Amino acid sequence: MRSLYLLILPFMMTCACTYGQDTHDAPIEPTKDLVWIAADNPDHHPQKHEEKDIDIEGFYIGKYEVTQKSFADIMGHNPSAFKGEDRPVESVTWYDAIEYCNRRSEAEGLEPYYTIERGENDAEQQDWKVTPHPEANGYRLPTQAEWEFAARGGPQSEGYTYSGSDDVDDVAWYWQNSGDDPLGGAWNWPAIERNHGRTHPVGAKEPNELGLYDMSGNVREWCWDAYEASEGQATSPFGHQPGAIRVWKGGGWIGGDFCCEPAYTAGFEANNASNDQGFRVVRGR
Amino acid sequence: MKDYTTITSALRRILPEGLLLAGIVGLSATALQAQTTITSNQTGTHNGYFYTYWKDTGSATMTLGSGGNYSVSWNLGTGNFVGGKGWNTGSSYRTIGYNAGAWQPNGNAYLTLYGWTTNPLVEYYVVDSWGSWQPPGGTAQGTVYTDGGAYNLYRTQRVNKPSIVGTATFYQYWSVRTSKRPTGNNVAITFNNHVNAWANNGWNLGSHSYQVMATEGFQSSGYSNLTVWEQ
Repeated sequence: MRSLYLLILPFMMTCACTYGQDTHDAPIEPTKDLVWIAADNPDHHPQKHEEKDIDIEGFYIGKYEVTQKSFADIMGHNPSAFKGEDRPVESVTWYDAIEYCNRRSEAEGLEPYYTIERGENDAEQQDWKVTPHPEANGYRLPTQAEWEFAARGGPQSEGYTYSGSDDVDDVAWYWQNSGDDPLGGAWNWPAIERNHGRTHPVGAKEPNELGLYDMSGNVREWCWDAYEASEGQATSPFGHQPGAIRVWKGGGWIGGDFCCEPAYTAGFEANNASNDQGFRVVRGR
Repeated sequence: MKDYTTITSALRRILPEGLLLAGIVGLSATALQAQTTITSNQTGTHNGYFYTYWKDTGSATMTLGSGGNYSVSWNLGTGNFVGGKGWNTGSSYRTIGYNAGAWQPNGNAYLTLYGWTTNPLVEYYVVDSWGSWQPPGGTAQGTVYTDGGAYNLYRTQRVNKPSIVGTATFYQYWSVRTSKRPTGNNVAITFNNHVNAWANNGWNLGSHSYQVMATEGFQSSGYSNLTVWEQ
């Protein structure tokens, strides 16, 4: 293990220097598919989220959405509707994502970040209880603030409309470009379906300022935060417990370009899965 | 399928290519925009109005006229069509004036104000006329009297269905005129009255996406000619 570490140490240093503002704040372990986002402050204070008064510590974030290969390697199955090893995994619930984080942590010798207590209704994931452990170094879902900070380009933000560009087609797969032919007209599901709208291999569009791919589009990405539904928002007719709707960010192959803007936030039932819903991971030092 | 302007098409029949080019340069942009015929899926802005055209199969020819005018001739077979003119960003406070100089559906079709909001995610319809079937079925949950008519209120739920934000569970709000609205006159839809009626039922709207006065055809044929404006 030590020799492996020495072999890839230079690569790690490159990543840290390229994307982190402060190498003193750099990661202690090498990771090739993660990007370190430093708390960009000369006094080493945590980064403040622009719109919310939330401190953001430095963190690693996945360069790509979790792929089907990675999910299958860790979990032993692939639930995705659009099969392809290098495509993002989709059709995963928020709980599936949490479980993947823990199992991947265990597989890599890290401390699992979550405790998962399965309820009586195990299969439906309706009464699972998830407790985070902030001191653990394992994989976890990004908070909404972390995700948004990363999507905007973190300390290197150029202030683009979408994650990495003002032109959505440069960086995102969304309803107008995710199928066989470019679509015009107003958003229309039968048109998208007939055009074979779908996910695409991760990393096929341009990255953002931090080298992160598909922060806009491809699949919507689960975040840790509970979603406060707007008054009048339809929710599952089966009812919900508090926190049962979780935030997603980034937009996906079905949705409009406005969903691909870093600020756009919506929620989805945590035990619900759809073919435009995936995730990426983060972890601390 | 190809987009073209009627003017360009007409000129091409009578002018050599060089003269045609010179003629086009000589024409003002306004004149070129005066009448544009669309047969393929697209959105855009024409004479200051957002427009949208979508069809899956069958035939539908939409002509964008001056100002907020458009006409559609459709013969869809088993297909569907929706098209209209309006605004890229809707408003709960907009009063939409329109004149349906022609509304001649043969089969199932709606003449409707149509739009979306997000947070909450809602798809809404204010239906003034229809063809063979009055949507959306079910039991009305109230009535609003506005703009010289009565509209029944309905709310339908879509569970885990595709939407403008991706897969979601969301409501559709409907105000449907209890009788088909006479056409051929300048009329108005005071949208805020519908918004308030929905709100009285606890049905709220969010941030507006597009809002158009639409012609929708479902496996039918017909012809419509509308002029839309903001009052």
